[in-house]
Amino acid sequence: MNPSTPGETAQLAVLSHRFEAIVTRMQNTLARSGRSGVLNTARDFSCCILTADGDVLMTGQSPPIHVMGGPDLQARSLLEFYPELHAGEAFLHNSPYHGNTHAADHSILIPVVDEAGVHRFTVLAKAHQADCGNSIPTTYMASARDVYEEGALIFPVVKVQEGYRDCEDILRMCEMRIRVPEQWRGDYLAILGSARIGERALLQLAEEVGWDTLDDFAGKWLDYSEVRMASAIGKLPAGTATTTTCHDPFPGVPEGVPITVTLSVDPDGGRIEVDLRDNIDCVPAGLNLSEATSRTAALIGIFNSIDHTVPHNQGSFRRVRVHLRDNCVVGIPRHPASCSTATTNLSNRVGNAVQRAMAEIGPGIGMAEVGSGMSPSEAVVSGVDRREGATAFVNQIFTGTNGGAGSPHADGWLTMSDLGSGGTLLLDSVEIDELKQPIVIHRRGIATDTEGAGELRGAPGIDVEYGPVGGPLEAIYANDGSINTMAGAREGHPGAPSVQAKRHRDGSVAEVDICGPVVIEEGERIIARTSGGGGYGSPVRRDPGAVAADVREGWVTRARAEAVYGVVLDDALQVDLAATRRRRDELDSKELVQA
Amino acid sequence: MRMSVDIGGTFTDLVVEDADGLALYKAPTVPADPVQGILDVLATAAVARDVPLASLLGQVGSFVHATTRGLNAVLTGNAARTAFLTTAGHPDVLLLREGGRPDPFDFTRPFPLPYVPRALTFEVPERVLSTGEVLTPFDAGAFERTCDELVAADVEAVAVCLLWATVNPVHELAVGEVLERRLPGVPYTLSHALNPSLREYRRASSAAIDASLKPLMSDYFSALTDRLRAAGLAGRILMVTSAGGVIDAVDAVARPILTINSGPSMAPIAGRAYALADAGSEDVIVADAGGTTYDVTLVRRGEIPSTRSAWVGEVGTGHMTGLPSIDVKSVGAGGGSIAWVDEGGLLHVGPQSAGSVPGPACYGRGGTRPTVTDAALVLGYLDPDEFSSGAMRLDTKAAIEVVRTEVADVLGIDVIEAADAILQLTTEQMVRAIEEITVGQGIDPAKAVLIGGGGAAGLNAHAVAERLGCRTLVVPAVGAALAAAGALMSDLTAIYSATAPTVTSAFHADRVNAALADLVAQGRDFAARAGVPAEAAGIALFAEARYPQQIWELEVPLRVTSFESTADVEAFAQDFHRTHEEILGITDPASPVEVVSWGARVTVALDEANHQIGALPPPTGSADVRRAFVPGEGMREVPVVPLASMQVGAVVRGPVLVEAPFTTVVVAGEADCRLGESGSLVIETVQQEENR
Repeated sequence: MNPSTPGETAQLAVLSHRFEAIVTRMQNTLARSGRSGVLNTARDFSCCILTADGDVLMTGQSPPIHVMGGPDLQARSLLEFYPELHAGEAFLHNSPYHGNTHAADHSILIPVVDEAGVHRFTVLAKAHQADCGNSIPTTYMASARDVYEEGALIFPVVKVQEGYRDCEDILRMCEMRIRVPEQWRGDYLAILGSARIGERALLQLAEEVGWDTLDDFAGKWLDYSEVRMASAIGKLPAGTATTTTCHDPFPGVPEGVPITVTLSVDPDGGRIEVDLRDNIDCVPAGLNLSEATSRTAALIGIFNSIDHTVPHNQGSFRRVRVHLRDNCVVGIPRHPASCSTATTNLSNRVGNAVQRAMAEIGPGIGMAEVGSGMSPSEAVVSGVDRREGATAFVNQIFTGTNGGAGSPHADGWLTMSDLGSGGTLLLDSVEIDELKQPIVIHRRGIATDTEGAGELRGAPGIDVEYGPVGGPLEAIYANDGSINTMAGAREGHPGAPSVQAKRHRDGSVAEVDICGPVVIEEGERIIARTSGGGGYGSPVRRDPGAVAADVREGWVTRARAEAVYGVVLDDALQVDLAATRRRRDELDSKELVQA
Repeated sequence: MRMSVDIGGTFTDLVVEDADGLALYKAPTVPADPVQGILDVLATAAVARDVPLASLLGQVGSFVHATTRGLNAVLTGNAARTAFLTTAGHPDVLLLREGGRPDPFDFTRPFPLPYVPRALTFEVPERVLSTGEVLTPFDAGAFERTCDELVAADVEAVAVCLLWATVNPVHELAVGEVLERRLPGVPYTLSHALNPSLREYRRASSAAIDASLKPLMSDYFSALTDRLRAAGLAGRILMVTSAGGVIDAVDAVARPILTINSGPSMAPIAGRAYALADAGSEDVIVADAGGTTYDVTLVRRGEIPSTRSAWVGEVGTGHMTGLPSIDVKSVGAGGGSIAWVDEGGLLHVGPQSAGSVPGPACYGRGGTRPTVTDAALVLGYLDPDEFSSGAMRLDTKAAIEVVRTEVADVLGIDVIEAADAILQLTTEQMVRAIEEITVGQGIDPAKAVLIGGGGAAGLNAHAVAERLGCRTLVVPAVGAALAAAGALMSDLTAIYSATAPTVTSAFHADRVNAALADLVAQGRDFAARAGVPAEAAGIALFAEARYPQQIWELEVPLRVTSFESTADVEAFAQDFHRTHEEILGITDPASPVEVVSWGARVTVALDEANHQIGALPPPTGSADVRRAFVPGEGMREVPVVPLASMQVGAVVRGPVLVEAPFTTVVVAGEADCRLGESGSLVIETVQQEENR
């Protein structure tokens, strides 16, 4: 695609930088002014700019689950409910039935309207809330049989500002139904402020270069992105693959949730299709995906598997078709099915199945599976803080992440957490956590030998152990990967299972529920081990030097290096090449026999 | 007379201050022996001033030095073999950092290594709680056995960071005592003494970097001192710090991490002085354009904002210094940045750079990719025969050829348009770096003065000013050595901090006032050690504060040294709300304000400084013309004016190319250029103002 005039050569590049800069500015504002830990520490928020008719034009470095296949649905629902938009309006949107991710993500949509009253662009800022009015103090309510039991306040495109002034009655409603209302109000201000900053910046940019130039840019930028995507797909081998996975048993789904994904790559046509229709109906639990997260999870698996510099917008998305079914657990939910954990648990399973299917299409592409579930290391903890007086507290802590998956190019990212976050979330400081709430974090560190072995190995899980100070603590979470581990790809091994347990006062350890709530009394501790990521490629092909380094650094024991990677080390922890060759031959022939 | 030396990647810069003003000298950096580079540039100055080196050095009252030695050691992993001692149960503080991932879709990058390997990490059985209460006592016996391992591992330095040592340092102190006895002569750093701040990763990283630099920096400083003394230097030797001040060399040896980001910390000091002298402004954007990076810093109402989250290496995956550092935004955009077109037809500049070897194609050293410098040459902005004051001849044909084949032909446009597009995009990247930092600090670029510093500043500083809407651009005469000039304008500086968390709704006045009194006492001590009376020290107290549950603190200056009434607390809260509004655009006046830590910035003016900033060149040279590109007109004859030929007060209207020492300033549009009082080139972007 060559631009038609020389002036446009620089303009496409320059304007793409300017749009990116606007999104960055929106994000910086949100990150630095947000109040809740989930917003400012975990960075569970996103910003994007959409065209007037709802195409995702520019997204920033945010959790991928937020910004790929949902904002367009949200913007289109805005157009449906409010065909006429005016400057100064702002809309609150958190409805998973109208394009939002899940109820805990509060989005603000602002139409950018020119002087003549024409709606030109829409800006969207979205942030996960510390609380969204659920019936119990968590924003990930796995046990909710439906949205009524979930209890979240749902805002299917609700006007919260007119003429740049708040519609106070809506805000008062929220303050009556959301825990720690002042914290919610602070986050709401941060989201709104961020969207307004985006609006102002677009208005300034238009003043400088004109609306027609911006419209023209939008079209060309989406076309450019589509060309890049077609070209990236063109480099893949043709093929079709079906992969399956299964979410661990949960309240309401005692057998777990099996997932089947079929993917086909058509390099000549420059297209990829993903079919999620061959899956069970919505379940009576908070696990159901929203339409936004079903599409996005599939897109994440694909974009993780190709050239990462391809822009993520409606232009590149045009080259991917995700087939969804109505009333499907990983499709389009039918109200009142609950989508409380739509951004994490099954999203992670779907994305993993897709990227593993990509790996099966051919060597050098795709990825193994990234650790899954919200471990007690990322629990919402609540109780009464008696250190000075007695105040109730509720907060999500982020003390330990799931391991990342091996890819064709690198070992798994240690603090990956899950596919939806893309590893962007920050880890809490132990000192900050202990200051904020009455807990002591006794232990946090990587769990040796929990990585999915591979030529490129997965990242290990992390062990965390914490307990209360001065009274009981309640922990609610929504884990996965304790039974169904994270699979490897292309002969890579699975990561180790996650664990949740309690250490009693007498030191004995017993497993606890996969979701909680778990009450931890003073003197007791909750123990979490997060899931290890899957490995990519056979571990007997891993560079022996890399295995030796893992042993010296205590990621992998010497015994496992020999048993699984076939790498024999001497007492100085250097590779014994001859012994390694013998051991690897042995492992290879054992594999042949098994085959 | 005073001197300052800044060792850059390519050149070692020397600025000499005497009664007549400042003078700038350059000599090539000697990477294998940086002190030799210093001696070379001193020799260059002695020759130019026509005095023997020893007698030149004999006149020097103070010698200020900035070095990237520590920084390079950290970046290349060449610091000392360092052990990390941590609270039992928390071995991975340095590995996990603070989480995060730079690009969620990039699975080609491996997880970064910890600053100290796990194999050299040792857990100390002990635990202190957030209240300072001891949960698990220090196990002295077990620690003796750890010391056996430290000895066996041949460690050269030890970093100690135990949880909550800032609230109760008893266990860190106990560890220090045992280390003194068991590993005599092995330098160590205790986190609570170096950086008494919250968040274990930051404190641990500070301690680890500091300890790892101690052996190396102490050798470096003694070699430097010995050789300078041998060459005849009599005066005081001072080191530049990351926080934008100077300290005595002995203090730098004791805490080498303080000097780690000294490179970019001085440019804003010089920029502030020139903006005030030449344009009368206290809001300044200071840009330092080098061959491979473009550093941006800010001055807001005369104050230079600092950050505690400065990284060595990339943000998030490098290593955090954890100590106050001038807030610098650095982007990989410079003369060496490579222009390329992707398969979708989009032009990019960088992040790849041709560096100085092989360098741009026009250097004729084997570079085959078009760079920003090549594009500038194509557009006639550089004089092929007089590049870098005649140090090198440039190959215009080679530049045209690479821009044509790699950019123009691919896009189907002509070579001039292609070169212009490359420069426009470069300008845009620089503007974006500036906007990120100005927005982050609540400054409107249109109301600030832009300082164009660095050897590559001239190429598009004017274009950047126009794009930002800055009315005034100042290119200081010593702009090519802005950092070295800044080092002569800075004060002896120390920053102290204390962790005494509180909240305005339940303010612990006693605890806070005790902490503040202690900070003031530390400031007075600093003054005493600097040999001045306590009253002569400027002690500015500040709070690092936030709304409850926020995690990023804002620095708010205090109006009082002690909180005596609720009115004092209320006034402080108001100051916080105002700062929050200014920087983040929103405020929550009904909310209490949480203070995480308190700090004191102590400055002691150097009595030997005579605060010269002028560098008026002797009048020489005459105007010429060259074919160069003017946007909207194309290639045409453009006047070339040597800065030294300009008269103070006389205005030269652009388009014009102004030849300043070591750089050419391109003014490709209509603008008024004049010679400022201090010898700076001052450019008023009149065209821009009329448009607005």
